[in-house]
Amino acid sequence: MSVSTSSVTPGSSAAPSGQWLLAWGDKTLLLDQAACKRNLLLVLALVLISIVCLGIGTLPVAPTDVILALAGQGDTMTQFVVNDLRLNRLLAGIYTGAAFSIAGCLMQTVARNRLATPGIIGIDNAAMAFAVASVVGVGISFAPSAMALTGAATATALAFIIGGGSGTRGYRFIVAGLAIGSVSAAISQLLLAQVHIDTANEAYPWTVGSLSGRPEEQIPVMGWITLVGIIISVILCRRFQLMAFSDSVITALGRTPNRLRFTAVIVAVILTGFAVALAGPVGLVALVGPEMARTFARHRGLPLLSSALCGAIVMILADLVGRTLLSPIELPVGVVTAVVGGPYLLWILIRKPKRSTL
Amino acid sequence: MFNPVQFWQRAPSQRPLVVCFGLLFIVLSGVFVLSLLYGAGSVTPSQAWQVLLGHGTDNAYFVVAELRFPRTLVGLTVGIALGLAGALMQAMARNPLAEPGLLGVSAGSSFAVAVALLLGASAATLAMGVAQIGALMGCVFVMAAARLQGQFKDPVRLVLAGAALTSLLTALTSILLMYDQRAADEIRFWVTGSVAGRSLDNLLSVTPFFLLAGALTLYIAKPLASMALGEKVALGLGHNPKTVRYIVMLIVALLAGSATAIAGPIMFVGLVVPFAARAIVGPDIRRTLWMCLPIGPLMIISADILTRLIAQPAEMPLGVLTAIVGAPVLMMIVRAKRLPTLS
Repeated sequence: MSVSTSSVTPGSSAAPSGQWLLAWGDKTLLLDQAACKRNLLLVLALVLISIVCLGIGTLPVAPTDVILALAGQGDTMTQFVVNDLRLNRLLAGIYTGAAFSIAGCLMQTVARNRLATPGIIGIDNAAMAFAVASVVGVGISFAPSAMALTGAATATALAFIIGGGSGTRGYRFIVAGLAIGSVSAAISQLLLAQVHIDTANEAYPWTVGSLSGRPEEQIPVMGWITLVGIIISVILCRRFQLMAFSDSVITALGRTPNRLRFTAVIVAVILTGFAVALAGPVGLVALVGPEMARTFARHRGLPLLSSALCGAIVMILADLVGRTLLSPIELPVGVVTAVVGGPYLLWILIRKPKRSTL
Repeated sequence: MFNPVQFWQRAPSQRPLVVCFGLLFIVLSGVFVLSLLYGAGSVTPSQAWQVLLGHGTDNAYFVVAELRFPRTLVGLTVGIALGLAGALMQAMARNPLAEPGLLGVSAGSSFAVAVALLLGASAATLAMGVAQIGALMGCVFVMAAARLQGQFKDPVRLVLAGAALTSLLTALTSILLMYDQRAADEIRFWVTGSVAGRSLDNLLSVTPFFLLAGALTLYIAKPLASMALGEKVALGLGHNPKTVRYIVMLIVALLAGSATAIAGPIMFVGLVVPFAARAIVGPDIRRTLWMCLPIGPLMIISADILTRLIAQPAEMPLGVLTAIVGAPVLMMIVRAKRLPTLS
């Protein structure tokens, strides 16, 4: 949290060591050099992994051919496979992974608890329940997103109302969320039990989280939402960082604590809602992404951008594993992340007391 | 004479156990009869009543005797088993949130059943072949959860660990099911927990486990009650806390594993039933265990009746309803100003 702005007066060109100073008129911006470099590395990794992902499948495509196909050259078959079949799925993975991960990072910051990610406090499941309700009951094409958003907002409000009384720091907040999540999961099952067995079978991969066969028109929408989410959170990153301090410190620094929290939660809820509507509840990405970003980026502040990149990488890797590991059977990406994320969550829980008992 | 107002004004631990038990037993009997009378099918309550009086149509007789009666009996057994398992586990872990379903015991059993189905067992022989495996898996996971508990001082974290375990096992189960469409079809309704369509054979095949668990419970109740006073007191009274804990774990594995084998994973019953029992007769485990006997089946059978009536003519899974009832109770316990520690 040591953003050392105090030693720099606006307009001076002397940047503190390890930082870049961008000045435009009387506006200045400090950039952490290490963070920038690591983020660049992450972007590079994401691009490389994407190209590999586009190449792997029933019809293997060499990386160079993938790039050619993306540029609109090469033979038609390769272009069809890469651009029409695999690209959409990859983009859906990148967008939703980034969205989940940013949302997770924001919720962790607001609740001041690294376990308070949307998946664990039930936001995912509630969004899913509402989306399933719209699919089963209403059947309007854009309805699932809107309904998922409503569900996400409802669950968040409930979690804060129920758990908030005793403060969001404690585990009570999280157990309240667990309860909300299990009720929502039960409602989803209930709704699916009402419909025809074939419809339920079709909806099944989506209810555990899947990138396969997602409606194409939703993917660009998701892209724009994620982009706006990333831009907003990067602009507001400095403010969100303040949430690590106590309320009195935030007030003394000239921000309203509750307004900050509200903004962060709204961004998180919107991102989660849309991501769930597209890919289903792949909540554990929101736990693993920010954690990876913290370890890898060694960012001193809030690693929002790194989280987004790590989340996207985790998501497309999980999807790659899911669709190649047991080929021709395709594992939904939600199952892969649960198998990876579950033990990780257990490890967090078991490891922590050891440290505190010292 | 009996004065209800005065009765309820007493502190829970002062209420006479026999009266509480008797009252709930009467309610349970009523619900048992209701469960025979109401159903999702075409047999009306009055037709079913005629059957109970001994002169109904053949069709109604079949529905009541062959469909509703076994299922009610299964509900009764599963309710007792899950209620007792919850109460014992909570007393052992000194944690009001310890519940076989939440801690991953049931998920372990489903995983075992999925493995068995994949290896060629069919749903018809499910309880016969896999009850034992399910119980064993349940036991293993209780052991694991209890070992984790040794490190956790915060009761709520244990639940979180259980949730993580459950999500992991559920994911593994669905991977297994994806291999095999037939297994997936057979297990679909079982996975959400239900007492429907279980024959008395299924019940008979797990009866030895229940009997063993019951005998062990009678043996362990007193030592367990002394553990509530602290391990040193228990030691002073001549009970070895470690032995007590292992025996309780074994009982919980037997009860929860067998219940899961018959009815699938039903969450939250082991949480709600002891909670209600404690509210009625206070925290003494010997009194709580007695009260779990009527309350557990009461919850399962009432929930089962509701599942038949809500979504007529279809039915909804029982596990869904218990989750909807149980999650608010979980929130209530967590919301309490200070977590009751049960010690």
